[in-house]
Formats: sequence, structure tokens, C-alpha cells
Amino acid sequence: MVTTSTTPAASAAQRGPQRLGLIAAVVLIAVSIALPFVPPFTGQDWQRYLVGAALIAASAVAFDFTAGYIDIVNFGFAAFMGLGGYTSAILVNTYGISPWLGFPLGALTAGILGLLTGLLTLRLRGIYAAVMTWFVALALLGLARNLTDVTRGPLGLAVSPLLATNDNLPYYYVMLGILIATLVVLTLVIRSRVGLAFRAIGQNLQAARASGINPTVFLVANFTISCAFAGVFGVFYAHYYGILTPDVMGTSHTIEILAIAYIGGRGSLWGPAVIAFPMYIAVQLLKVQLSSQPALYLVIYGLLLILVMLYRPDGAAGVIRSLGHRLDRRPKSGAGPAGASATPTPGATA
Amino acid sequence: MTTATATNLKQVPLLRRYLNLTSAILVVAAAAMIVVSIQNPSLLVNTLATGGMWALMAGGLALVFGVMNIPSFVHGDLFMVGTLVALFVFTPIQSMIQDAPNDFVLKWLGPFAGMILAFILGAVIGVLMELLLFRQLRRRSREQWVMNTFLLTAGLSIMFENVAMMAFGNLPQGISRYWDVPPIDVLGVPVAMDRLVTFIVAMGTLAVFALFLQRSRTGRAMRAVSMDETGAQMAGIGLTRIYQLTLALSCGLAALAGAVLIWLTPFTPTVGASPLLIAWYVVILAGLGNVQGAVVGAFLVAMVQQLTGYYLALNWVDVLPTGIIILVLLFKPSGLFGSEVKGVWEQ
Repeated sequence: MVTTSTTPAASAAQRGPQRLGLIAAVVLIAVSIALPFVPPFTGQDWQRYLVGAALIAASAVAFDFTAGYIDIVNFGFAAFMGLGGYTSAILVNTYGISPWLGFPLGALTAGILGLLTGLLTLRLRGIYAAVMTWFVALALLGLARNLTDVTRGPLGLAVSPLLATNDNLPYYYVMLGILIATLVVLTLVIRSRVGLAFRAIGQNLQAARASGINPTVFLVANFTISCAFAGVFGVFYAHYYGILTPDVMGTSHTIEILAIAYIGGRGSLWGPAVIAFPMYIAVQLLKVQLSSQPALYLVIYGLLLILVMLYRPDGAAGVIRSLGHRLDRRPKSGAGPAGASATPTPGATA
Repeated sequence: MTTATATNLKQVPLLRRYLNLTSAILVVAAAAMIVVSIQNPSLLVNTLATGGMWALMAGGLALVFGVMNIPSFVHGDLFMVGTLVALFVFTPIQSMIQDAPNDFVLKWLGPFAGMILAFILGAVIGVLMELLLFRQLRRRSREQWVMNTFLLTAGLSIMFENVAMMAFGNLPQGISRYWDVPPIDVLGVPVAMDRLVTFIVAMGTLAVFALFLQRSRTGRAMRAVSMDETGAQMAGIGLTRIYQLTLALSCGLAALAGAVLIWLTPFTPTVGASPLLIAWYVVILAGLGNVQGAVVGAFLVAMVQQLTGYYLALNWVDVLPTGIIILVLLFKPSGLFGSEVKGVWEQ
């Protein structure tokens, strides 16, 4: 599922698509920076959609970091976000620290809980981790509902804003910065030797173990990193929307992130980020248009998730990648080796 | 590592074999239940009634996981479908009962019509799920099967819930008087008819279910597939039929549980969430894919639920079980009744 450059010949053939990918990345970043100045996005409503899209994009990227590489579904992702958010909100409210300090603190608590959950479940099979994170999420949700002295329960906790402005534009750039940083950091991790170990474990646990990798160490490390990132996004969520209710941690929020991650393409990191913007904005528009059917967008998420799982397991990233390969091959069709070795595209295998 | 314990099993002295964590927990649980039930018999009645239904849910979940390696997330939505069927079948029957209050057949057998139809509809949905989803996925790839099917059922679950919400709304709709008869005295304790029938239906269904799995040819074939798929295939067992039957049975049981329990949990689109959680909790506690363990675990969980609900508060019901399961996973990662047989999914 994941393209890895195993032989020198393959890596030479990949250099073309890689350059293309770099160009695409630069173009996409430029577009996302310029986007708030293009007509429909100049309005505050649309800019709010953009902030939400960037937030869910970053969440889906961090989700994909575990789901796509070590094949562990963090079914409590939203709860780790919520934990980060609540940590920061409570500390800022009681001790008056700067919301910016909340980011490392939120990452710390979510990371520690991720570490503990990972230590407990990741020595077992993946499905234990998925179900256990779900339990942990429901327990956190229950705690947030019950500890009304601290969290005010379902009434919601008012949180001081991150920036001294009501304008959505600065928030968008903060979140875009977080998104790009997340993508860059996680991509660098995946490209490193540690990332190689992740991919090895995800593809074949026995073979990875046989080649001297201690799976538990890498699984827990991966999971902890992902949860810490979730904490960071939760802090942004809290200080952007200004109110935290236990519902932030709900399973439906996780499923939204999960659906975007898988529709975007597992094991690509950039796929979820790219698909999150059009999907999230389309869903928001649909919500506004069909306010009488508030559940419809979730039906669409569910249907898309099923279709992707059945027919296109590499998601949008796979579609884009195969288009890119075709684009890349066309100009230098005379060059034999590049064209020939580009044929075994991932996902084309039945 | 599991095979090592399997070979050691015979050498362990008899006393030590039964003096383990599992039996300790079971003894403590039984003792707690006896003490509590002397103080408050209704807790025991509720534990037995709900425990039986959780056993149906968890047994079906364990069966699907054992035979097909599908960690179903859609199980709770079949429970929801069950409540819907009961609602739609029993509401006209109830008005008929009001017209003829002395009709013995309607009064005593009316509710069963909904339960039977719920089981049938659940089974049909199960077969459709196998045909439309799992078979397609199997045909494409069996790579990362457990996680893929988990996500597939998660997607299906969102669809079920939200289609139900669009079609039937968000408000709870229940049946107030499933059995319009006064409570019956059981050993000096008045037991409401709905609880009694729930318990009897659960026990009856579980007995049939166990007999089917243990004694019938098809049941044996199912267990063979859950132990070794390739071996079962070599022995001439057709996997397609077994898969369909497994899903039909497990989905039917979940829908049946929903139809029986509608007196306790009225229909809402998300009514299945809590039974799903409980079923999963039971299955992890008992050991994945272990059907018998799931049945025992279901009563344990029902007891924990009743006790937390009674002594703490109802909103802690989700928090405490997670704490317990963390302890269990720490000390017995394969679950209380963790099977020594290595499932297909572990290979």
C-alpha cells in the first residue's frame, strides 16, 4: 500500500513523481495561503469553514500517521483532542497562563494518556487498541460529563480566545501553520529510519520482528506522537471556538476525522490534508442548505467510507498518485526504464 | 506464547488450575451479588434480565469475530432495528388488545410476534451485509482484514443511525406496557412480567444457540471454521454458507435483544450505542471470539452496571467498566476466559 523505494532502480524511477509531488506541495501551500482572498472565501462564514477544514485536515493527518502506517485505528482520537483542549482551557482559566502555553501542556497530557493506553494495548493485536481507545474515549467523555466542578459538564466550559480578535483570518493562518508543521514533521518521521520501522510493522509484523525490530517500542512511540498532536489540535479547538462541551470527545467526531483520513487515502499523510478542504467545506454547505436534515452529511460520510474501503482502499491519494504517474510518464515516453518501472503503481494490484 | 500455555495446562496441579484470577473474580462477583440481592432483590432481577440480553448481543459479536474475524461495530444498530420492529409490530397489536382486553392469545403472545419478526429481519440484514459488503471486500483483498472490516462496519453504523434519524426522528419511542399483567411472585419477590419474560427468552435462546453450536452439523462446521479456516475448507465445509449463516445468526440475535428489551430502552437512532459498548466490553473481558466466555461475561458486566448504577450514579456506568477492563488487560491480556486456541486472525 505504501510506496517504498526498495531498489536503486525504483528510487530512480520515483524521482520524477517526487519532484512532481514537491511542485504540487508548493502550489497547494501557496493556494491555501492565498485562498482567503479569493471571492467566496473572503466572507467570515467561509473563513470559518476554512479554519474548520484546516483543523480537521491536521487531525486526519495525525490520525493517518497511526492508521495508515502501523495499521492501528485510534478510535478515541477526538477524546485525546478533547483532553488536550480541556487541559489547556482549565489551566488558562484557573492560573491565567497564556493560551499559547496551552499547546505544549495539552500535547503533554494527551501524549501521556496515549503512552499509557499504548503501553496497555499495543503489545496485543491492533483490534484491542482500537476498542480500548474507544473505551478510554467513552470514559473520558463520562469524566468530562460528571466532573462538573472542573469541566462544568454538558453546560460547556467557556475558554478565553487564542488571539485578541474576532476575525477568522488570523486564526486560519495559525491553524494552517499548525497543519503544515504537522505534515512536515510527520513526513520527516515517516521518511526516517524510524518511519521505515513503522511501515515494516504495518505491512508484516512477523517479518519486522524477524529483522530485529521491537514492535511494541515503535508502536507505542507512533501512537504517543499521534496522540500528542491530537492534544495540540484540541487546544486550538478550545481556544478558537471558545467553548468546550464533552461532545467534543464523542465518537461521531472521531468518525468524521476517520472518514476524512480514509477517504483521503491511508498511508499517504498528504491525502487526508488535501481531501479535507473540499470535503469539509462541501459538508458545511450541505448542512446550511439542508438544515432540516442535519444527519444527511453523516450518511454521506458513512457511504463514502464504505465505498472507499471496498473499491479504492488507497483513497483519493491513490487516485491522485496514479494520475500523477500518468502525467509524469507522458512527456518522456521515449525513456524506457522510467516508463516501464512506473507501471507497478500501488493500489493497482488486485 | 499461547501454545506454550496450552501444553503446560495438563501439568498444572488441579488446585492451581482453579485457583486463578478468573475464578477469584467469579467467586467475588457471586458473593457480591448474593449480599446485594438480600438487601435489594430488584438488583438481582435486573441483572439477570439485562445480563441475558447482553449475553445475546455479546454472544453474536463473539461468534462473528470468531468465525469471520469481523470486529463488528454495527451490532448495536441491529439492536436498534430490533426495537424498531417491535415498535411497529406491537403498536397495532396493542390497540387490538385494548379493543379486546380479554383475548388471551393477543395478550400473552402478541409481544412475541415482534420478537420473531425482529430476529428474521436481523438475519436478512446480516445475509445482505455478507453479500454486499464482506464478500466484496474478501474478493478484493484479505490484507489487513480485521481493521478493514472494522472500518466497514463503522461506516455502516453511521449510515444505519443517521438514516434511522432521518426516517423516524430523534425522539424516544417506546412501548409502555409490553405485558399488561401484574407482577408475579418469585420466591417472595414481586418480579415484573417484562423482566421475567426477558430472562426466559434469553435463557431459551441461549440454550438453543448453545445446542446448535455444540450438537448440530452446521454448528460444528461453524466452530471448525473459527478454529481453522483452511482445515475446515479441506474437510469439505463451504465457507460461503457458513459466513452467511454466522452473520444471519449474530445479527438476528442482536435484533431479537432489541425487540425484547424495548420496555427498558425505547427506540432512538442511537439506542444501540450502549448495548454495542456493553457487548464489546463483554467480548474484550471474556476474550475475543470466545462465545461461552461472552455469555458468562455478560452477566458479570450486567452486575457491574447495576451495582454502579445503584451505588454511584447512572452517569458513572461508562467510566467504571473501562477502569475494570484496564485492570483485566493488564493482568490477563487474553481476557478472563482467554482461549488457548489461536484464532485465524492471530496468524
